[in-house]
Amino acid sequence: MKGLVIWIRTEDGSDEAILDKLGTEIEERGGRVEVFHSKAVENLGMEKNDKAKAVACAMLASHGVVVITSGAENPSIKSGEKLEIRIIEESDLFNTAIHDSFIRDLELAGLVPAPKYDVHPDEEKEILRKLQDLGYLDD
Amino acid sequence: MLVPPHGGRLTDRQYEGSEAEDIIKQVKNSALLTLNAREKNDLEMIGNGAMSPLEGFMCGTDYESVIDLMRLAAGPVWTLPVVFAQKKGDPDVSPGDHVGLKDVEGTIWGDMQIEDVFQADLIAEADKTLGTIDDSHPGVMYLNTLSGTYIGGKIRSIRRRKTESFQNYRLDPKETRVLFRARGWKTAVAFQTRNPIHRAHEYIQKCAMEIVDGLLLHPLVGETQAGDIPPDVRMRCYEEILKDYYPRTRVAMSVFPAAMRYAGPKEAVFHAILRKNYGCSHFIVGRDHAGVGNFYGTYDAQMIFDQFDPDELGIVPLKFEHAFYCSKCGGMATPKTCAHDNEYHIFLSGKKVRAMLIDGILPPPEFTRPEIASILMEAARKGDN
Ligand SMILES: [Zn+2]
Repeated sequence: MKGLVIWIRTEDGSDEAILDKLGTEIEERGGRVEVFHSKAVENLGMEKNDKAKAVACAMLASHGVVVITSGAENPSIKSGEKLEIRIIEESDLFNTAIHDSFIRDLELAGLVPAPKYDVHPDEEKEILRKLQDLGYLDD
Repeated sequence: MLVPPHGGRLTDRQYEGSEAEDIIKQVKNSALLTLNAREKNDLEMIGNGAMSPLEGFMCGTDYESVIDLMRLAAGPVWTLPVVFAQKKGDPDVSPGDHVGLKDVEGTIWGDMQIEDVFQADLIAEADKTLGTIDDSHPGVMYLNTLSGTYIGGKIRSIRRRKTESFQNYRLDPKETRVLFRARGWKTAVAFQTRNPIHRAHEYIQKCAMEIVDGLLLHPLVGETQAGDIPPDVRMRCYEEILKDYYPRTRVAMSVFPAAMRYAGPKEAVFHAILRKNYGCSHFIVGRDHAGVGNFYGTYDAQMIFDQFDPDELGIVPLKFEHAFYCSKCGGMATPKTCAHDNEYHIFLSGKKVRAMLIDGILPPPEFTRPEIASILMEAARKGDN
């Protein structure tokens, strides 16, 4: 899988809970995810700025990891052959329709795995009954 | 686990019963646009998820991307346009309009939220997707009937089971997926056909069955051209042969409601991707798959698969040669497995078989099983083929 940095644009770059939430969502689908909090930059002993963060994220992501981070500015790095950068406003992640279409685009581009089931488990039971009625499961 | 749907999720935009009635009410005062036979097949297959990840008829960006790059704008491989053409006599519409979709008789089959109305260069479309602009190609003939304006947008489709042919064999992708799981299949091979079953087809299917858990017999029953054997005759042949010659738990038969486009190689990939949505991990690609006349090279439909990364296709093409009975081998074979000259091979052209059947001559049992031959002969006498 091509590496991906999801760059969440926040007012002050400080709301970290939304990063974790998105990280969990992608991880539950079987994606390899690294949530890169703003604090991580400081912990690495780097200057706290978006440029250092972007470089660190790009290095991680170029190994095929989905990296989720946030910043007040647009990142200084650009999408390339091994790396895709997708930017989304924090407020958009709270809008279900925009959130879903953002994730769906990532799925279609092969950047994050799709949900695990193809048919909802409740519907699966209903379909089994129909298949029985049609005689497909007689044997 | 079965192979995931193309683009990751199965589209589900098909409605029936009271939900379908709601759609009909909602479009009551809207403009109604007319579906031609191909578009009606496409609408059904977008709605039931066979064309996942499509959620509607293509907008200009997807259309251009598919024609030029064999991909949807969002990335997934997609080789043929799935479009809705503006018809003469239909009302003018614009992006933002909500319209109903009706057939020529006026029955409403769904709706569309229009996102794009765009002009297409149909000659370029023919050249790039069919590989020809020759008017004798059925796909070019079809394009020649269109205006060149396409209307794109998300659809909802209406299902009316009681009006359908082959009601016991209409499985949607989610249904074949549940069926495969219920049978414990992790891999399945799809066999697409618009022909009756001869020994050659049986041999190829069974070769494929040796390496996967199950076989999905998926005869195409959508719009085809005159001269193809009618679907009900083909279905009778398959019902007959399944009685005695295949292990019941290893085969599932369901109809594939797609219209033929006769686009050869590009349609082979298209057919494969749609079968992936039905849960198949493998797809049988014969010589000149989806070809017509002499428009495509013998192996074009097989070689095109090499242009894609196997992971992004997500379904494995099983490339087969024509099969025949070889009297020296004492069994079915193909040029890949038989070392003997043609004189030992029992092989008849479709034309020759048809002539024999009309004259009341049974083809040799090494070519067609007698049970099948008698169905075909009866149909030939009635003028069905
Ligand atoms: Zn031989």
